Amino acid sequence: MANLNIRNKQERTYQAIVVGSGASGGWAAKEFGDLGVKTLLLERGRDVKHIKDYPTTNMLPYEFKHRGKLPQKVLDENPIVSKCYAFGEDSEHFFAKDAEQPYIQEKPFDWIKGYQVGGKSLLWARQVQRWSDYDFEGPARDGFAVDWPIRYKDIAPWYSHVEKFAGVSGNLDGLDTLPDGEFLPGYELNIVEKHFAQKLKETYGGDRHMISARCAHINGPHEQFTAQGRAFCQNRNLCQRGCPFGGYFSSNSSTIPWALKSGNVTLRPDSVVHSIIYDEEKGKATGVRVIDAHTKEMEEFYADVIFVNAAAINSNAILMNSTSSRFPNGLGNDSGVLGKYFAFHNYRAQVNGSYEGFMEYTTSGGRPTSGYIPRFRNVKKQETDFLRGYAGGFSAYRGGGYVADARVGMDLKNNMLNPTPPDGPWRVGSHMMGETIPKESNYIALDKDKLDPYGLPTLKFNVSYDDNDEKMILDYQEQVSEMFAKAGFTDIRVNDDHRTPGLDIHEMGGVRMGKDPKTSMLNGNHQLHAVPNVYVTDGACMTSTSTQNPTLTYMAFAARAAHHAVSESKKG
Amino acid sequence: MNRRIALRHLALISGGLALIPSCDFSSDDILAAYENLKVTASQKQLLGDISNTIIPAGELKGALELEVPDFILVMVNDCMTSENQMLFSSGLAAFPDYAKNKAGKKYDKLTAKEKEDLIQAGIDLKPAETPEEEKDRAIMYFLNTTKRLTMQGYMASEYIQTEIIPYSLIPGPYNGAALISETQKPRING
Repeated sequence: MANLNIRNKQERTYQAIVVGSGASGGWAAKEFGDLGVKTLLLERGRDVKHIKDYPTTNMLPYEFKHRGKLPQKVLDENPIVSKCYAFGEDSEHFFAKDAEQPYIQEKPFDWIKGYQVGGKSLLWARQVQRWSDYDFEGPARDGFAVDWPIRYKDIAPWYSHVEKFAGVSGNLDGLDTLPDGEFLPGYELNIVEKHFAQKLKETYGGDRHMISARCAHINGPHEQFTAQGRAFCQNRNLCQRGCPFGGYFSSNSSTIPWALKSGNVTLRPDSVVHSIIYDEEKGKATGVRVIDAHTKEMEEFYADVIFVNAAAINSNAILMNSTSSRFPNGLGNDSGVLGKYFAFHNYRAQVNGSYEGFMEYTTSGGRPTSGYIPRFRNVKKQETDFLRGYAGGFSAYRGGGYVADARVGMDLKNNMLNPTPPDGPWRVGSHMMGETIPKESNYIALDKDKLDPYGLPTLKFNVSYDDNDEKMILDYQEQVSEMFAKAGFTDIRVNDDHRTPGLDIHEMGGVRMGKDPKTSMLNGNHQLHAVPNVYVTDGACMTSTSTQNPTLTYMAFAARAAHHAVSESKKG
Repeated sequence: MNRRIALRHLALISGGLALIPSCDFSSDDILAAYENLKVTASQKQLLGDISNTIIPAGELKGALELEVPDFILVMVNDCMTSENQMLFSSGLAAFPDYAKNKAGKKYDKLTAKEKEDLIQAGIDLKPAETPEEEKDRAIMYFLNTTKRLTMQGYMASEYIQTEIIPYSLIPGPYNGAALISETQKPRING
């Protein structure tokens, strides 16, 4: 490949390079911008500007040719991304198609990708629950993975920092398992959800709870968000289209425009990072090699500090592809753990039921969140024959609608135009979010013989469930069924949808943090042990997974690490 | 119909020369807009009549006036597997004979009430998985699909969503304990 370094090297030199513009990369760029660090923000996908590049955001249902459904041809060509619940006619353009980056499934793995400025922050479920020390202390207490080099006190101020800017709605629930944060008013639980929460409190002596899930939505106006050009959430529930109000947090609506406004940050879309340049004499990284997504030509950019925020899997891939005589097995990979101890969240099980109470009530309007059951299993001590536990989603809703089996003709027409008021019982449902245990045998690696459309090695996946996961599924089904029964719910049914790992879109690990360079890649400041001017603060850095939706933690990590990098550079 | 197909085959065999006046079969030309389906203009007309029987005009517009048949064909053409497209197409092709056998006369000679009865009977068919009942399976599939897509195309039309039951992109704040008695809406007569 031609190496056309025609532009002056100085023009291609910055103080910091951030690889990836999703939730974590956007935060690194924003902090660097605020701190006066000249930064290059690289994104492999196209540019997506807030509002301007949300083509479907204000479309009405009848303006979609297929009323939201994707053509069969698209589904046939994209068997993997088609499995994602959010992939539809209104959001298709924010997902990377399967052919963009083929990969090898030694074991089945659904890899869902968002390749554009903002990454998957345009598409995420916006659930932001803090970790507690019950989570950070998990591996050390239960003897798996390695001990996290940080604790809650290290990250708590950064959670606050991120929450205040991103906008997080939630209630002060006072739970030690799910610390409270800097919240805007929380969203209301409905009458049946409140009933369930109350019954749990009564039945389980304060050990089990159901709360309004904290979400990255602006519930109520606030000066800080006006300064970002964002307004409060309108309960549209069309978030996957991009929000014209900036009602939920995305890099596009929040951190990236803020970073660009600082004048210190340069955004460069269509830039696929090939590898990180390691200078053996200096003993540090000096820049990155970038493939232009259109011309496929390679160019180098240089900086004092490199942040790798390419999303968990690609951050692994970039380090693996960054080889030198000092690091023949990937940058910073003295321990040999790069790509290993890869984990995810187990979303396989659901429990559903009915509730015959509050028959005179229903709900109206919209809300962007629902209920959340914080982890209650094995929290303070080991209770079961499996390690760790699970959180649960929870919601209650009332049916109603038109009678679809009415006789054709005027009967059917009048039925459709006059939906029946809800007459059946409330429906209640929960889904599990289980911690999986990182293991050496769950790994991702590169196949350097098979190249992708950019000439980069393809990834191969060897990730699967284990016995611990199977036991946890049964326990979740049993416990939540019992909780439903105690609340008076009936017609309780459990399900295991046997989904493939990856569809949770919570892939984590491979570049884990740890105290010991012999068994981990990163130190407690997210620096590669062996190359301290390279930081990884996205899902790749996760030592363990716990049960919370992880994005908030990546954002806090990125902000904290950016400040660390700046304080290190001041030390000279 | 057979004569027309034979004529067209002849035209193809003879290299598509315009030996036959085009008006002779133009109404039965295959519609190019639906490239995965072999739907003729007269079949589309029939589909329009069926959809308008499923949701007829009254005080409010019916399916045909809202161009629901176009929507149905777009959905079948774009969003169905080829097996289901085949089943739909063969059900549509078999429908005229089905009407004649079941109702004793051609579909377009039936009264509105007879058309309704015929379509409802076809929707309710419970054919066995035998080769003899293959046609009935296609009829049942075709009519159920047409009913479903008619309902979807009608309710998700600009007319319904702007003039009759206005759709709002902003649904308003959440009320988690709304009394059903207070959410009643005035009756709409179709």
